[in-house]
Amino acid sequence: MSSLFRKVLYLSVFFMLGLLVAFFLRSPDALREEANDSMPLSKAMKSDTTGYERATGPIDFSFPADHGAHPTFKTEWWYYTGNVTGTDGRRFGFQLTFFRSALSPMVGISDDPESDWISDQLYMAHFSMSDVENETFYASERFSRGSLGLAGAEGIPYRIWLDDWSAEQVSEASFFPIRLIASEGDVSLDLVVDEGKPAVYQGDRGYDQKGDDPGNASYYYSFTRLPVDGTISIGEERFVVSGQAWKDHEWSTSALGEAEVGWDWFSLQLSDGRDLMVYSLRQNDGSESRHAVGMVHDENGTSRRLNVGEYTIETNANWTSPKSGITYPSRWTLSIPSESVELEITPRIPNQELNVTIQYWEGAVSVEGISNGSPVTGSGFVELTGYQPN
Amino acid sequence: MSSSNSILNVSGLSKSFVEGTQERVVLDNLSLTLREGELVVLLGRSGSGKSTLLNLISGLDVPSAGTVQFGDTSLSTLKEEDRTLFRRKQIGFIFQSFNLIPTLTVLENVLLPIELSGTVSKAEESKAKHILDTVGLGDRMNSFPDVLSGGEQQRVAIARAIAHDPVLILADEPTGNLDFETAQTVLELLQHLIHDVNRTMLIATHDREIIELADRVFTLQRGVLKELDAENEALN
Amino acid sequence: MRSSLLWRSSVRYLFTHPLLTGLSILGVALGVAVVVGIDFANVSSERAFRLSSSLVTGTATHQIVGAGNELDDTLYAELRVEYGFRKAAPVVEGYASYGGESEGTLQVLGVDLLVESSFRSFIGGAQSSLDLGQFMGPSSVGLLSEETALSLGIELGDTLKINISGIPHEVVLLDFVRGLSDLDRQAMSNLLVVDIGTAQRLFSGAGKLSRIDLIISPEEIDQGRLSSLENWLPSNVRLQKASSRGNALDQMTKAFTLNLQALSLLALVVGMFLIYNIMTFSVVQRAPTIGRFRALGVTQKEIYGTIISESLIIGVSGTVLGLLGGVMLGNGLVNLVSQTINDLYFVLEVRELTLAPFTLLKGAILGVGMTLVASLLPAREATTAATTTVLRRSSDETRMAAALPRLIWSSLGAAVVALLLLVAPGKSLVISYLALLLVLLSFALMTPPAVTLCTRWIRPILGKMGGVVGKMAARGVETSLSRTGVAIAALMIAISSTIGVGVMVESFRGTVDQWLSYTLSADVYISPPSPVFRRNDATIIQDVERDIRALDGISGAYAVRTARVQMNDFQNDLIIVDPRPGPTESYRFKEGDITSLPERFASDNVVKISEPFSYRHDIHAGDTLQINTDNGRIPFEVAAVYFDYASDVGAVMISRNVYNRHFDDPFVSGIALVASPGTDVDNLIERVQQVVGGRQEVFIRSNRSLRQASLDVFDRTFTITQVLRLLAVLIAFVGVLSALMALQLERGKELAIMRANGLTPRQVWLYVTTQTGLMGLLAGLFAVPLGLILAYVLVFVINKRSFGWTLQMDYSPDVLLQAVVLAIIAALLAGIYPAMKMASANPVSALRED
Repeated sequence: MSSLFRKVLYLSVFFMLGLLVAFFLRSPDALREEANDSMPLSKAMKSDTTGYERATGPIDFSFPADHGAHPTFKTEWWYYTGNVTGTDGRRFGFQLTFFRSALSPMVGISDDPESDWISDQLYMAHFSMSDVENETFYASERFSRGSLGLAGAEGIPYRIWLDDWSAEQVSEASFFPIRLIASEGDVSLDLVVDEGKPAVYQGDRGYDQKGDDPGNASYYYSFTRLPVDGTISIGEERFVVSGQAWKDHEWSTSALGEAEVGWDWFSLQLSDGRDLMVYSLRQNDGSESRHAVGMVHDENGTSRRLNVGEYTIETNANWTSPKSGITYPSRWTLSIPSESVELEITPRIPNQELNVTIQYWEGAVSVEGISNGSPVTGSGFVELTGYQPN
Repeated sequence: MSSSNSILNVSGLSKSFVEGTQERVVLDNLSLTLREGELVVLLGRSGSGKSTLLNLISGLDVPSAGTVQFGDTSLSTLKEEDRTLFRRKQIGFIFQSFNLIPTLTVLENVLLPIELSGTVSKAEESKAKHILDTVGLGDRMNSFPDVLSGGEQQRVAIARAIAHDPVLILADEPTGNLDFETAQTVLELLQHLIHDVNRTMLIATHDREIIELADRVFTLQRGVLKELDAENEALN
Repeated sequence: MRSSLLWRSSVRYLFTHPLLTGLSILGVALGVAVVVGIDFANVSSERAFRLSSSLVTGTATHQIVGAGNELDDTLYAELRVEYGFRKAAPVVEGYASYGGESEGTLQVLGVDLLVESSFRSFIGGAQSSLDLGQFMGPSSVGLLSEETALSLGIELGDTLKINISGIPHEVVLLDFVRGLSDLDRQAMSNLLVVDIGTAQRLFSGAGKLSRIDLIISPEEIDQGRLSSLENWLPSNVRLQKASSRGNALDQMTKAFTLNLQALSLLALVVGMFLIYNIMTFSVVQRAPTIGRFRALGVTQKEIYGTIISESLIIGVSGTVLGLLGGVMLGNGLVNLVSQTINDLYFVLEVRELTLAPFTLLKGAILGVGMTLVASLLPAREATTAATTTVLRRSSDETRMAAALPRLIWSSLGAAVVALLLLVAPGKSLVISYLALLLVLLSFALMTPPAVTLCTRWIRPILGKMGGVVGKMAARGVETSLSRTGVAIAALMIAISSTIGVGVMVESFRGTVDQWLSYTLSADVYISPPSPVFRRNDATIIQDVERDIRALDGISGAYAVRTARVQMNDFQNDLIIVDPRPGPTESYRFKEGDITSLPERFASDNVVKISEPFSYRHDIHAGDTLQINTDNGRIPFEVAAVYFDYASDVGAVMISRNVYNRHFDDPFVSGIALVASPGTDVDNLIERVQQVVGGRQEVFIRSNRSLRQASLDVFDRTFTITQVLRLLAVLIAFVGVLSALMALQLERGKELAIMRANGLTPRQVWLYVTTQTGLMGLLAGLFAVPLGLILAYVLVFVINKRSFGWTLQMDYSPDVLLQAVVLAIIAALLAGIYPAMKMASANPVSALRED
């Protein structure tokens, strides 16, 4: 019974339906690709350095002003790490680090009358917590510009902060004690770091050469053993803790050489009162840079520089992050024959990878072995940077 | 005169129209029986009620009183819809003014009643063509009615009226609009078709020529129906 | 069971009358096109607004806003550092105009990229390659979408010249905003993203933010974070839901878009009359054929179905064409709609037409549905057509004559219901338009009786003028009432709507002109260019202001400032004025004690509110208005309600002294100068130009030219109304053309007989044109009272309910005369073709035909 009429009718009905369907089907949102915005730290540390001040040789530090920021240098960081134990014996590792990065070598542009926001100082902070008993690791980061009081680093009085995370001197009278405050989600810390062993100046009186070029160096000093106590909260639980912290402060303009891709850094506090800091700079061909150095800081406060070849770090195990796919070394044997040191270093928990804008592994470790020929135990922190996904 | 079964029984049929305040009786208590295969002529002057009677028999109109009975079916008890369906199947119409559908071709006009009763099969289509051949219009099948002469149009109407094998064919002044010679041709055709296939037909006319074809003749005068004796009429 | 031969007959009928079929399809198509076009334009504007506002709002759930236009940025630092609230992002926004190849407005969004990623991922996330140092640095750089840059004709590293509040700025295109979805790309189309510091510099807003965006999850709200934050915040800021801003803006244009929709539906109603007319004609013309079909055993249902299907063919093809036409029309209308929104409400750039499926669906349903509805009556008429073999036309006309009393009663009934709806209290626009529709219906129903009456009067007159042909023509109109009645009604409705809308616009314009004449009492007006004409919130550089005030030859300088402020539970414009000394008051008042007003206004916590504001919020003289100030929430007494036609959103007026007590905002948006006696105004304007110099681009206008500029904008905002009015006339024209053609075709035989009896072709011409002219005249005459009633309803009911304005009804007889002439011309034009056809028709073939 087909007829012209039917055809006309069907055609027009189909045409209209087609028109409607076509518009319904127009996909409203193209799927947006997740941008992978992580970048290796080495890249961040090797960008254009023209116009910045550089670390070219040993200087006389001037404290407390030098505890604050050095904005004419490109990069600077303040590191607080530590191993603490609750009154019930539960162990925790913590890290609270503030990074400063100058976006341009022009200094003083913050005084723009038209806006308080304009700034060439970029601050980043990392906060991590290792809950050893639950084998859980918490990490978070923050960014801010260094203007409008949102973030900054001042020496007098001492105050490093980004938003409501801060390391701040408690009393007007003295640099120590320093109060650390940070929280993210339901993990928070509120610790007071008190005076301990005096500062150690890394490298040559605090001038730490890291690459072949003379300017590829940093100014670097550490407080290797500072008593710390306070409270840690995870979820509903609150722990009164005490332990030992380590504080680093380092600034530079271009610390790494062209071929250097990252480092393995160890800070260890031993039961015999010795503190060790060693690191190895890895080159892109996998070899160790000859600028890798270390330091032994004895109980009585005397320290000695360890030169290349004086120590060996042997990797005993690896761990692959399920999140980033990066394989990190995970257990080491550190040998310093000249100091009669042979130590087994084991992460307190395997996963202490910070999955933030810059990916790296930094976590609490336990130490066991021989120092000065006697058996020792200890704790510390290890930082592994520049590893790439397999 | 054949002695077959009766196919139509009209009894006590009356129809009156209201015009203004006056009631005009067109048909008055009228009865009629048609038998299968006969050709009956209904003679009457213009305005005597012939058309009204045909309209009532075909179910186009409803009587004021009385019944129209086709076999078991009583038209007067049917609803408009069912009367229409009955008409579509059982009755063929031939009108004085031909009443072809101007927007359908000759063949389509003939096929229309068949198609209304169901789908048109190939056999039915060739039969329709055959009928058109028979009425002498085999070569005009795809023309539209407005290009045909009156006689041709009426022949199409005749073909249309018989194409779906109706029980009864009603013709209302089939030659009324035709000249003498054309009328003769049409009449011969009608007689030929009716007797060949044994169809029943009721022709309303004022044309006494048609009586010659009739098996029976009735006159309708002032709403009253009378059967005419064939011999009597011939005498007149 | 359906017969294909029946269809074939039906389709052949449609094809043998291609012009009529075509006209009816065109009628439906035009009606649908207008409705769909307007809807597209509305939807596109709304979508563009929603898109850009959702893009700019991002994932923020709440916002902290200040009492005025801004809040201190130190609050943001405190919020993060002291209160420790992390999911917060500062925003500075505003508008900049750009010149060059194409002029337009850019939305400037100042953000802090470092905290953006969880708010506006399109800015924060995908920009890892961006040079942050440059972006956050001291020179002005910005980001655009690649498409926007292309349309502005600039490349990476090029300088974009923009103008903000009359001050030129240069922004270097640092990078593109990349990785955008299609949707974001559309929304980004006029967005310039800059660092928050750059934005403060551009908008001279050191230390100020437009708002702080927050993300607070429902769980956090459950944990009481929202209320504790509210407690912590100072009293001069407000925490609000992020959606409330968009809703407030949306609310502003609601009445505007609803009115457009209603006007577009009018076009469809006229189209419906057209369909009804043509379908009726086709049924009547085919009555004999239908009768034959019935005799051959076609049931009533089948006839009904056939007629309905025919109308479906017309409806569907007309709708398809109409939808396509609507898309084209929409492209034109969207510019008008967005231009009007820009003039009246807020900055809106609609780059593309949104072909909303719902609009298409709505158009399709309306088009097909209304065609079907319009065909129901003719289809019924067809089925009840006498089954006899000859159908007499006169029976149809007799029925019509018999129906006249019923028509009169229904007409009166519709009028009464309409009146009840109009006087019923309430603000519902839908009910008002329903009443309007009933008024139209009432007049349409009254048309046939009125035509009968009129033709009886006119017949003798025409008889004297045109002799027997004239008499016949008049009689023809009357006797074929069932056809002519509908055609005249359709033309009447179209013409009356042009009268109604025309008178409404004229009244409105008259009222505004009068208002301007007493409101604009100063001599020279100075203001920086502002993105929205009716909302001047750009500010004058303070030095420039000071220098202008120091000019010689002025007896007074009065500043005005517009600020968006939170009051009661909504945001509204606050207009800050320098009170004039002495008793001169340039406003007229609707409510309030005027004698004590000047002193109280100058010193007390009182405000004056505009009439639309009063209507919209149902606030009157003596009521209290809570206003959020920099000192917290403060009650102000409403001292008076003044007549104002500047904004349909309404405004609250406060004196500068009082404002300064509560707000920290020394800026002004405009200055009015009163020349001292003897000062030449033109000379004063020149001196103002000199003193401003190149520091800022400002409009310096005399009283007269500001008044003219205001009226120009007024006219521009009514362009779209005029366009709709014309479209309705066009549809009516098609309707009259088709009705007349149908009528003349139907009369073919009658005319042929008259031709055969000696009517000359010239007389046929005369006959047809007299008849069509008469129909046009009648439609025009009937349209006058109907048009005035429509105007009355539009001015006093719909305008009032939409915007709360009191307007004076004010029109010249010209409008009415024009309408009548228009009706006659439309009818005569429509009569030309049928007349030509009839005159040249061979009477023989017409007589032979069936």
